[in-house]
Amino acid sequence: MFRHWKILLLMLAITLVPMTVLGQDQPVTLRVVGFVVPPEEIGTPLDQAYQDFLATFQENNPNVTVEALETPPEFDTQLLTDLAAGTAPDVWQQDGSTLARLIDTGNVLDMRQCLDVVPELSLDRFYPSVLNIHMPEGEDGPIYGLPNDFTPMVIYYNPLSFENAGVEVPTPDWTWEDFLDISQRLTLDAEGRNATDPDFDPENIVQYGYRHRHYVFEWIYWVWQNGGDVIAPDGSTVDGYLNSPETIEAITFLRDLVLEHHVSPEPVSLEQMTQQAGFLPVFLEGDVAMFPRGHWELVGLRNQSNYEPERVAVISNPSNVEEATVIYESGWIINNAVAEDPAKLEAACRLVEAATDMDYQLTKGISGVAIPANQAAAEQIAEETEFPELEQAFLEAVAAGRPPYGARFAIWPIVEQRLDLMMENILAGGDIQEEVDLAVEEINRELERAGQSGS
Amino acid sequence: MATANRTQAGVDHYVPAKQSLWKRFWSRSNERVGYLFILPSLIHLIIFVIIPLVFSLYLSFTDWRGPNFQNAPFVGLDNYEFLLGDRRYWNAMRNTAWYTILSVPGGMIASLIVALVMNQKLRGVYIFRTLFFMPVISSWVAVSVIWITLLDPNAGILNYVLRQFGIPPVNWLGDPATAMPSIVLISIWKGLGFQMVIWLAGLQAIPQELHEAAAIDGATRLQSFLRITLPLLAPTTFFLAVTGVIGSFQVFSPVYVITQGGPRGSTEVVVYNIYQRAFEVFDMGYAAAQAWVLFGVIFLATLVQLWYRRRQGEEVLF
Repeated sequence: MFRHWKILLLMLAITLVPMTVLGQDQPVTLRVVGFVVPPEEIGTPLDQAYQDFLATFQENNPNVTVEALETPPEFDTQLLTDLAAGTAPDVWQQDGSTLARLIDTGNVLDMRQCLDVVPELSLDRFYPSVLNIHMPEGEDGPIYGLPNDFTPMVIYYNPLSFENAGVEVPTPDWTWEDFLDISQRLTLDAEGRNATDPDFDPENIVQYGYRHRHYVFEWIYWVWQNGGDVIAPDGSTVDGYLNSPETIEAITFLRDLVLEHHVSPEPVSLEQMTQQAGFLPVFLEGDVAMFPRGHWELVGLRNQSNYEPERVAVISNPSNVEEATVIYESGWIINNAVAEDPAKLEAACRLVEAATDMDYQLTKGISGVAIPANQAAAEQIAEETEFPELEQAFLEAVAAGRPPYGARFAIWPIVEQRLDLMMENILAGGDIQEEVDLAVEEINRELERAGQSGS
Repeated sequence: MATANRTQAGVDHYVPAKQSLWKRFWSRSNERVGYLFILPSLIHLIIFVIIPLVFSLYLSFTDWRGPNFQNAPFVGLDNYEFLLGDRRYWNAMRNTAWYTILSVPGGMIASLIVALVMNQKLRGVYIFRTLFFMPVISSWVAVSVIWITLLDPNAGILNYVLRQFGIPPVNWLGDPATAMPSIVLISIWKGLGFQMVIWLAGLQAIPQELHEAAAIDGATRLQSFLRITLPLLAPTTFFLAVTGVIGSFQVFSPVYVITQGGPRGSTEVVVYNIYQRAFEVFDMGYAAAQAWVLFGVIFLATLVQLWYRRRQGEEVLF
């Protein structure tokens, strides 16, 4: 009898061991969006980097075939349609600003499953504030995707404009008070008088200090810096937030930059200045000394015919009550359907691990559009780049970065449109309290409806 | 049965026995063949028009925010109720009505003037007709880019002309007061050729003898135009007015390409609003409700026009 047990065990081992090994090496095909350049960029270093990455990944994972798909136009719409049809990719790159809507569909894998399957995928590699974008329920909650690359919003300035106005360039510890003072001294009329001069002529400005526009993605963090907010943390209301004293004070400060202190062009003037060639040549010429933007604008500026390195510098936002900026980010998302097949799940997790490790993340420096989400890669690029002080300014801003609200609230696009309109009306001379109250009423109607439907 | 009828009625002519529609259909082979001919179009109509139409109506009673329709909760009239208090939607409706009021009569008058000139026996008139028709077949994006350049506050040719007359430059697309009239101007220019062709067809259907008789009676050209041409163009006028109002309420492309609803929502029109709700926010159920309310408004506007036409004692054309 005992001899029979041994034979049985032996047979079981002979059968199970190859099955387990075969299970791991089971051929898997992953459909992935995020590693194909548009046709006009074929043959560029970025294209080469993508191909090298895929070749290396497949070499290390011979059982996995990666079917790299081109990012279609109107990707968000296409993705929702594909998810409904069951033909969505297994892994894709997702703009963090629309993440909440996607999470709501229930199609995003909780990446904690990957941490179990691929132990080398450590969360320590990411900047905490960037990783936070993917953790809407806090540290103990699910992780919807992992960061790929990002940028905090910072302030670009033209050192030549500062020189022209005889103003010292700012330091990272600057405050709102410093910002206003610097902006006023940078704003010059045709006679060379700055905006602090009692004889300053606001009808004849030749150099502006700053560019403030109505788009909420460029001003929401000013509200945060003043200790205010525009919406409740649970997204249930804007009443008590958008109309709070702190928020009103921040909106007033921004409005006054345009209408009271004249340090920022009025919308009509700005449009006239930029209609022909866009804003960037105007900035590089020194007609506007500072403007808020993300890392991607470095690429745009370098492509201008009047670009010179000494005309571009970057600094983190000034603080008031607290330091704050917003981080715009793209992340890697795994389709929840992948979890049904353990082999596919492991392959997808391995792909995301490889796409966020140091080697691949260093290739983010090629395009320069965004900063690698991998801390070590970002710091190495910042050290090795031609203009380390620029990259350093971006990295210094990361700690104070907060998630974009599109990653928190599915209804944010509607709120965003209404806030844009509110600020547009205020900059056109509308009464702040009236415009804010109107926005509160209309947005709350929308939030109430969304709350009833559970969105 | 036929015999019985004849006996009861006491008449001598043949009264056919009543058959059901289905039997009558199958008893006429010619009709059956006819239906075969229209079958492909019918299938196309059912799949691509009728089913989506019914589906969108159903959709307007749900809160479908994608991606899976199966999970969309049925909310009854909630979307319509919400829409009643949606200030932004009614602002867009107001803008659309303003666009319609400006563009329909404006376009009709401009195209009639062009058609009257193009109806003359002039050398090269066909070339001019082709030129006037060219914007109709051009893409909205190309047309928009051209007009953005023409309306540029600094370098645009329109402001250049104004400056020659000592008029200060206008920020055509950047000022809420002038943005919508600018869009109307562009739309009229683009649609001029199509309306001109319809007017031309109407003008050429007017017998020349009437004008000759009027001339013999001493009528001036203006009198001849007002008393003969215009009244006889009434069916064409009615057709252009009805199709113009329907088309204007659905304006989308120039707003999407040129102003995106700005400045300050002054060019936000209903279809652009629907587009944003459906494809930027994926609020499909509510967008469908908005579309059906728009349909109701257009339907009502058309009914009013038909009623007015009937009151005038004219036959209805459609």
